[in-house]
Amino acid sequence: AGVLAAHKITASSPDTDLPTVSGLRKIGVNFTVSNKDTVKSSDVLFLAVKPPIIPFILEEVGPDIEPRHIVVSCAAGVTISSIEKKLSTFCPTPKVIRCMTNTPVIVREGATVYATGTHADVEDGKLLEQLMASVGFCTEVEEDLIDAVTGLSGSGPAYAFTALDALADGGVKMGLPRRLAVRLGAQALLGAAKMLLESEQHPGQLKDNVCSPGGATIHALHFLESGGFRSLLINAVEASCIRTRELQHLADQEKISPAAIKKTLLDKVKLESPSLSVASASKVSLFTNKSKKN
Amino acid sequence: GVAPGAWPQVAMEASELWVGFVGAGRMAGGLVRGLLQAGKVPASNILASAPSDKNLDAWRELGCRTTHCNLEVVHRSTLVFLATKPHILPGVLEEIRPAVGSHHIVVSLVAGVTIQTLQRLLPPWTKVLRIMPNLPCVVQAGAMVFSRGSNAGDEEAALLKSLLSSCGLCEEVPESYIDIHTGLSGSGVAYVYLFAEALAEGAVKMGMPGALASRIAAQTLLGAAKMLLETGEHPAKLRGDVCTPGGTTIYALHQLEKGALRATVMNAVEAATNRACDMAKD
Repeated sequence: AGVLAAHKITASSPDTDLPTVSGLRKIGVNFTVSNKDTVKSSDVLFLAVKPPIIPFILEEVGPDIEPRHIVVSCAAGVTISSIEKKLSTFCPTPKVIRCMTNTPVIVREGATVYATGTHADVEDGKLLEQLMASVGFCTEVEEDLIDAVTGLSGSGPAYAFTALDALADGGVKMGLPRRLAVRLGAQALLGAAKMLLESEQHPGQLKDNVCSPGGATIHALHFLESGGFRSLLINAVEASCIRTRELQHLADQEKISPAAIKKTLLDKVKLESPSLSVASASKVSLFTNKSKKN
Repeated sequence: GVAPGAWPQVAMEASELWVGFVGAGRMAGGLVRGLLQAGKVPASNILASAPSDKNLDAWRELGCRTTHCNLEVVHRSTLVFLATKPHILPGVLEEIRPAVGSHHIVVSLVAGVTIQTLQRLLPPWTKVLRIMPNLPCVVQAGAMVFSRGSNAGDEEAALLKSLLSSCGLCEEVPESYIDIHTGLSGSGVAYVYLFAEALAEGAVKMGMPGALASRIAAQTLLGAAKMLLETGEHPAKLRGDVCTPGGTTIYALHQLEKGALRATVMNAVEAATNRACDMAKD
């Protein structure tokens, strides 16, 4: 997106064999196995580990956190207050921002929201917003909405992939080659989303505009309604949101199974999208987990 | 047949119009009340026929004239509404056919009887229109659609529309829409009653007295419909306007979606429309 130079980005991971690691190295990101090094060479820290691991990471890097650092957590269900609490033993006024994004940041069509913590200034939030806006839509919200955002746009791409897979099946059933079916299905959703974003009209109205009387589309929509399509989607968003809250609750209790920790050793590093030109002076770091003793 | 010319020529001035009703049942009664309400046709210019006095009393109370003779209605009217039961109509048409002239405008309210059938059973010069009203015409909040036959022109259509707009919404449509109108609005009124009943029952379950719940249910439907009609906004938008995030309405709507209410309603409209088509073929 051209917001940040690659050499200003540092990422750390204990496992250097991950494909994501070599990927990052190729685009010029600094790589280290030491989380501490990452903290020292950065101003903005993205915590990109699995939620149960967050407390351990905070314990580890806490001593190195300085007033200049902005700690950005992307971990689902991990509250600002839990992070602030953990860091407060090391730093009196840690700047914490919590964000929830989604995978299409990879193609710069992400959907990101963030909530600022007690000691994060307006400029800190704006800085994050500037970074994340370079990879899609980004806006500030109240923290208590973040679980709902997870349910909607966090998990949303999965709903879309499922829909696209099924739409392609429909196309194949009716005679289209698979590749073409996938391509057309994806384009249809992309186009529809774009129309909605660029239109003042309600999606219901846009739907009506496609449905000529007695035509193909209205017949198809009737099937969707009969299957409770709408309620399924509402259920999905609700379930994802509720599960996020459950996970948060578990994390608060710091009940983590050894199996979960072992699994996270193989986690991917979260990708930002660096490029060549220079914008802000901040340095950005990506964290991942390291091998941990309990 | 003989084309009688003894009675007044077609007058497009409503106040000079002689209006007749063959059949004086509920639907006809609704229309005539609308006409009178609108003040377009004086009651004394309206003549209705029915086999018994049962229905005709109410017409006389409105100031209309009544008879037991269908032929008389045709002789003394220019605009003739056919409002009999479907199975009666063929016999009635045969009876009045000799008296129907080129000055007459024949408007059929009879469910399921097509323009083709009407034109077949009437003289070839007859100006025929077919209308499908719905029950709330009785309270001048009806929804009516009409289509014209081969000899009915813009003047006749305009006359009908202007007369019946007093009973509610009145639109000209291709005849193929008439069965759909039945499914949507003719029968549709019953769907609304069902919904109103269910709303009230829900309230009763939650502790509200039935009579109050019913009145509020009805007023809710009325108010929502009024907003729809007056704002011209898309119903989805109006629905969204009522839904505060995480509030009561969205919780309730989720229940409705879980029950596939939309599809069920579409099924109902489809079933009624198909049934109307089938019945028309009989």
